[in-house]
Amino acid sequence: MELTWAFAAEAYRSPQPTAIEGVPWLRWAGWLAVFFGLFPAIMAYFVWGERKVAARFQDRVGPNRVGPFGLLQSIADAVKLLTKENIVPAAADSVVHLLAPILLLVSAFLTLAVIPFGAGLAAVNPPSGLLFLVAATSLSPLSIFLAGWSSRNKFALLGAMRAVAQLVSYEVPQVLATLPVVLWAGSLSLVVIFDRQVEHGWFVLSPPGLLAFGILTIANIAEVNRAPFDLPEAESEIVAGYHTEYSGMRFALFFLAEYLGVFGVSCLGTALFLGGGTLPFVGGWQMRVLGTDTWPGFALTNVGVVGVFSAKVLLYVFAIFWIRATVPRLRVDRLMDFAWKTLVPLAIANVAVAAAWFELAIRPGGPGKVVGWVVTTPLVMGAVLGVRAIHRAAAPRAAGGAA
Amino acid sequence: MTSALFLVIAGLGIAAALGTVLARNLVHAALYLVAFFFLVACQFVLLEAEFLAAVQVLVYIGAVAILLVFGIMLTRDVRGDETTRAPLAWSVPAGLVALGFLAVLVAGIEREAGLGSRLRWGAVEARPSVGPDELARQAEQGRAVDDMGRTLGNELMGRYAIPFEVAGLLLTAALVGSIALAAQEDGRDVAPAGPGRAGRRVGLRRRHRAVAVPPSPSAEPAAAEAPPP
Repeated sequence: MELTWAFAAEAYRSPQPTAIEGVPWLRWAGWLAVFFGLFPAIMAYFVWGERKVAARFQDRVGPNRVGPFGLLQSIADAVKLLTKENIVPAAADSVVHLLAPILLLVSAFLTLAVIPFGAGLAAVNPPSGLLFLVAATSLSPLSIFLAGWSSRNKFALLGAMRAVAQLVSYEVPQVLATLPVVLWAGSLSLVVIFDRQVEHGWFVLSPPGLLAFGILTIANIAEVNRAPFDLPEAESEIVAGYHTEYSGMRFALFFLAEYLGVFGVSCLGTALFLGGGTLPFVGGWQMRVLGTDTWPGFALTNVGVVGVFSAKVLLYVFAIFWIRATVPRLRVDRLMDFAWKTLVPLAIANVAVAAAWFELAIRPGGPGKVVGWVVTTPLVMGAVLGVRAIHRAAAPRAAGGAA
Repeated sequence: MTSALFLVIAGLGIAAALGTVLARNLVHAALYLVAFFFLVACQFVLLEAEFLAAVQVLVYIGAVAILLVFGIMLTRDVRGDETTRAPLAWSVPAGLVALGFLAVLVAGIEREAGLGSRLRWGAVEARPSVGPDELARQAEQGRAVDDMGRTLGNELMGRYAIPFEVAGLLLTAALVGSIALAAQEDGRDVAPAGPGRAGRRVGLRRRHRAVAVPPSPSAEPAAAEAPPP
């Protein structure tokens, strides 16, 4: 009955305590500064970055008037939003109208709380951190619904309905795509998942890992309402969707929560599949050479690890901006079809392939990665082609039935 | 400290529960319910069951509450404030039933009519583990707290495999049943003349006739009447 693997007896925490764990007050002060000082500032520059990226894709220059390269544009925007009048519609439900952006922001911040940004650098490390993250993410549809509902505006309500349907649908493939990682790491803690990737290499470097990473990325973009999944706030159809009736600081909170969401899902993808702050193929050499139990070692290790982590997150965010600038918006029915008829079956099939990969390549004493690649590549290809073939076969029938 | 926290959370929970029952607006009631679910999750954290706390938030706030608001959105009363108050003749027996249920719960938990080898709840100070004979298996209890996901998974695949599967079967049956009900209502006009385009046109024509001519009780009662609420 004991279904424990060879490494399961190991504790869920990192092997040795890091230097910063000895000084709790410094740890908490540091995290408060990072979460409520650094992250909002980074988000302001994400806005600038997105405007620059979108401008380049559309053969424009982008913001270039305020400061060099328009770098002070974000600060000007922030000051403008802070000083603008906050207008609440007379018919609106004032308490819920205030509650909605706050709840969304809390959800976005909670998501970031379990991300391991470096070696021993996660704000909290609960044994079931991934589940905590999923639970925190699941608060966002509720807050978006409350925003749309409390505004007493048809466009806002339409946006809220779209958002709830979309977020609930895409949460399923998102969570299913994280299952292979949980299986391979044997833990729900993101810190342990990071440690396992130091040991076994990036989880994306395997056929089922690649497929799961793809599914996760698509579902991530849908979860944060970015184009091509931006139906809840489609400007050309429903004004601004659920935040139509928000202005001033409350609108800024939505803005902040949206970019925090982009940042959060990028961190999630990086921590789960891209090996966190490790370089490819060399593993965690800094941690082995410098260690994390002394202050200099801890600092030197984390300069490298956090740097690599940030670079990966920035690349991921850039990819999201890139997709937004180049791909047109989906139609509502195709959006739902894609989630339920393509991503969910693929993700479920992929869990089975991931189990094969675990037996072949990750379980100690297995035949190794080469055999794993040889066996699971056709399985993954078969799953993708099979789902595609079923679609092709079902599509004409569905069209005939609807006519 | 812990018991003070427990009292605060329990008090807030009761307030949220009362708010759920007494709120006149449906969405406000749903919000109070969300607050209640969240406070239950807080109690789980207090009991060192952070896995269950996360599941509580995920399932009850992320799914059940969302389904509730979805239900409100699909009704005509989107604002949710056209609710009616239950008449006294109904609320008194309902209150009695609720009190009786509370009494049964209290008595049942205190007497712990479960596994035979367990102590009474009132007699133990520590949280019982998920395994039997908790006093003899302190180490296992510690591991269960540290890594509840794994322990729960092993239990669900081992000791509780059959109850788990039965619950899954029940949910599947409920799902199939609800789809069957919804599909029946949808396809009522189409059904009689077989599949495809032609059948649908026939069905439509029949319905027009049924609307034009005063409905005879035997011919086509379902097509002529308004769908049941």
